[in-house]
Amino acid sequence: MSQSTTSSSYSSAANPSPLMIEARGVEKWYPNGYHALRGVDLTVNRGEVVVIMGPSGSGKSTFIRTFNALEDFQKGQITVDGIPLSNDLRQIDAIRREVGMVFQQFNLFPHLSVLDNLTLAPVLVRKRPKAEVVEQARALLKRVGIAEQADKYPGQLSGGQQQRVAIARALCMEPRILLFDEPTSALDPEMVREVLEVMQNLAADDITMVVVTHEVKFARQVADRVVLMAEGDVVEVAEPEQFFTNPRQERSRRFLDQIL
Amino acid sequence: MNPLLRRLRQDLFATPADSLLSIALLAILASGSTAFLHWAFSRAQWAVIQANSTLFALGRYPIEQQWRLWLLTALLAAAAGIGWGMLRSHPRTDRSGRLWPANDRIAALLLLLSLALPWALGLALPIQLRWWALSGLLLLLRWLAGRFGPGLPPALKRLLPLGLPLLYLIGMLLIGGGLGLAPVPPSEWGGLLLTLLQASFAILLCFPLGVLLALGRRSDLPLLRWGSVIYIEFIRGAPLITLLFLGQNMLGFLLPGGMAPERVWRAAWVLTLFAAAYLAEAVRSGLAAVPRGQVEAARSLGLSLPQAFSTVVLPQALRVALPSMVGQFISLLQDTTLLSLIGLMELLGTARTVMANPAFLGKNAEVYLTLAVLFWCCCAALGLGSRALERRLDPAAVVRSG
Ligand SMILES: Nc1ncnc2c1ncn2[C@@H]1O[C@H](COP(=O)(O)OP(=O)(O)O)[C@@H](O)[C@H]1O
Ligand SMILES: [Mg+2]
Repeated sequence: MSQSTTSSSYSSAANPSPLMIEARGVEKWYPNGYHALRGVDLTVNRGEVVVIMGPSGSGKSTFIRTFNALEDFQKGQITVDGIPLSNDLRQIDAIRREVGMVFQQFNLFPHLSVLDNLTLAPVLVRKRPKAEVVEQARALLKRVGIAEQADKYPGQLSGGQQQRVAIARALCMEPRILLFDEPTSALDPEMVREVLEVMQNLAADDITMVVVTHEVKFARQVADRVVLMAEGDVVEVAEPEQFFTNPRQERSRRFLDQIL
Repeated sequence: MNPLLRRLRQDLFATPADSLLSIALLAILASGSTAFLHWAFSRAQWAVIQANSTLFALGRYPIEQQWRLWLLTALLAAAAGIGWGMLRSHPRTDRSGRLWPANDRIAALLLLLSLALPWALGLALPIQLRWWALSGLLLLLRWLAGRFGPGLPPALKRLLPLGLPLLYLIGMLLIGGGLGLAPVPPSEWGGLLLTLLQASFAILLCFPLGVLLALGRRSDLPLLRWGSVIYIEFIRGAPLITLLFLGQNMLGFLLPGGMAPERVWRAAWVLTLFAAAYLAEAVRSGLAAVPRGQVEAARSLGLSLPQAFSTVVLPQALRVALPSMVGQFISLLQDTTLLSLIGLMELLGTARTVMANPAFLGKNAEVYLTLAVLFWCCCAALGLGSRALERRLDPAAVVRSG
């Protein structure tokens, strides 16, 4: 795991601040004019696990996708691991190397074997020797419990297995931050647990995680803080116990009434 | 009851109306084919083909240089054998080890054709023997490639497709001369040789051009996007024959003095530019079939846009577009017949000169039928190759083969 620190000039040593993500007054309009983010503020500390909840359409996906520049924004500032997000393409590339993402629809590369899904980016982007990456990829697949599937293709795996491959694929780039956008929402109920277990396992490491999910049990057990978003803004940030038992905001209470 | 009989009964005689229709159709089919066979074997006079076989094959290519084309054909047979063997061996390694795999109908058909055709055409014995040797070479290399191909180091396997352009360069050298070989100018190329040259030149070059046009059409740069759109729509709106005439007349003005290529090459470029527009549309539909999430996943892993396109999007898009691209290639091959209208001696042009020869007056049916069969063989080969490639590129094929 030393590779990431040597290959990036933006190592943790260069950024002693405990803040991993800092978003200030972020506003986004979609090209059709829709005001999706309305001045969002949020900070995420190094190694922290933050769960974002909120009704559908409240801007959760839009917000976390700004962290790795999959979405742009028009006002405000976002700093990721000390690097300000701007239109500078080199900085965007630098940030994307440090930020992994796991999608609701897995988005595995169907034309590549599981192993090639994992090794593609480290070899192509980090220019690491293939043999070394293959070894690491096999170890990661073992860690997420699918070592035997390395040579299969994504289409041959169950949804839960695919999502675990997607997590392993993100980890293979040795990111400092992992973003999850509703990682279990597209899964059959019996497969949700196997994915959540992998995520819980990860949370014990020092990687920073931002997780959009509706899994209350996961949020209670794993999150350091829970964020509620509604109508394009953050409504409440609280520790899980406080959030689920005694939320401060009326909006949070209404949301919890709906999902609990 | 015999399953075949049951099947026939189900398919043809399920209801009285079905039976009636089936009987009528079978009667028409039977009378049509007996009439054809009668014509082909007793009335038709195939001497016109036998006497002109070299002309149909090569045009007026100098006799003393024809060994170069035999060498080229041997190279092509070798390449086809290797490619075929490699495609077969992946992902179905189970069938590749045998020299004569069970129920390999295509190879059997090829063998039969290559044995029977030179004989049926009444070619001279030495030439018959050469054809047999060539098909033997092809099948042997197919077996070797299937047997040992999968064991080759992956780096070497990735280099194999590069053999294709290399083969093309060698082929052009052998045909046209240079590097010590006596030059044979394009005006002396003809027949099947010229047809295949035109088609393969256009196929090889329209592919990269078509991909670039398709990407241009999706580009964020307005100039690039509109340029591509206008080009594609203009070409697709104009009949090829007008473009061919235009090319013969206009390239001379457009290119600086002396740069205008020889007539044969002008036609080849027009074909290429024409095919590229159609190919671009095929590639575009392939690109549209790749979900947005694929680029997002690639970008979130840190791949640059060109990297994401070349390793993630394009392979998937081309896989989707392959059948319609091959459809384009097949019609391109058939479109080469239009070149006869601008005076090139490709297959149809050669055929027309042969039919104009008083010695072979009235033998049009024999000539046209031969042409049709030749074209059909080429197109069938393209289609078979593409299906093999499709299977090879289909990750799910691994499941089916276990
Ligand atoms: N590409 C887009 N163009 C216009 N509006 C969009 C686009 N993507 C999302 N939106 C809108 O932005 C809002 C927030 O979307 P999203 O971030 O996906 O919400 P969530 O993830 O919380 O369900 C929704 O109202 C959605 O309709
Ligand atoms: Mg969402």
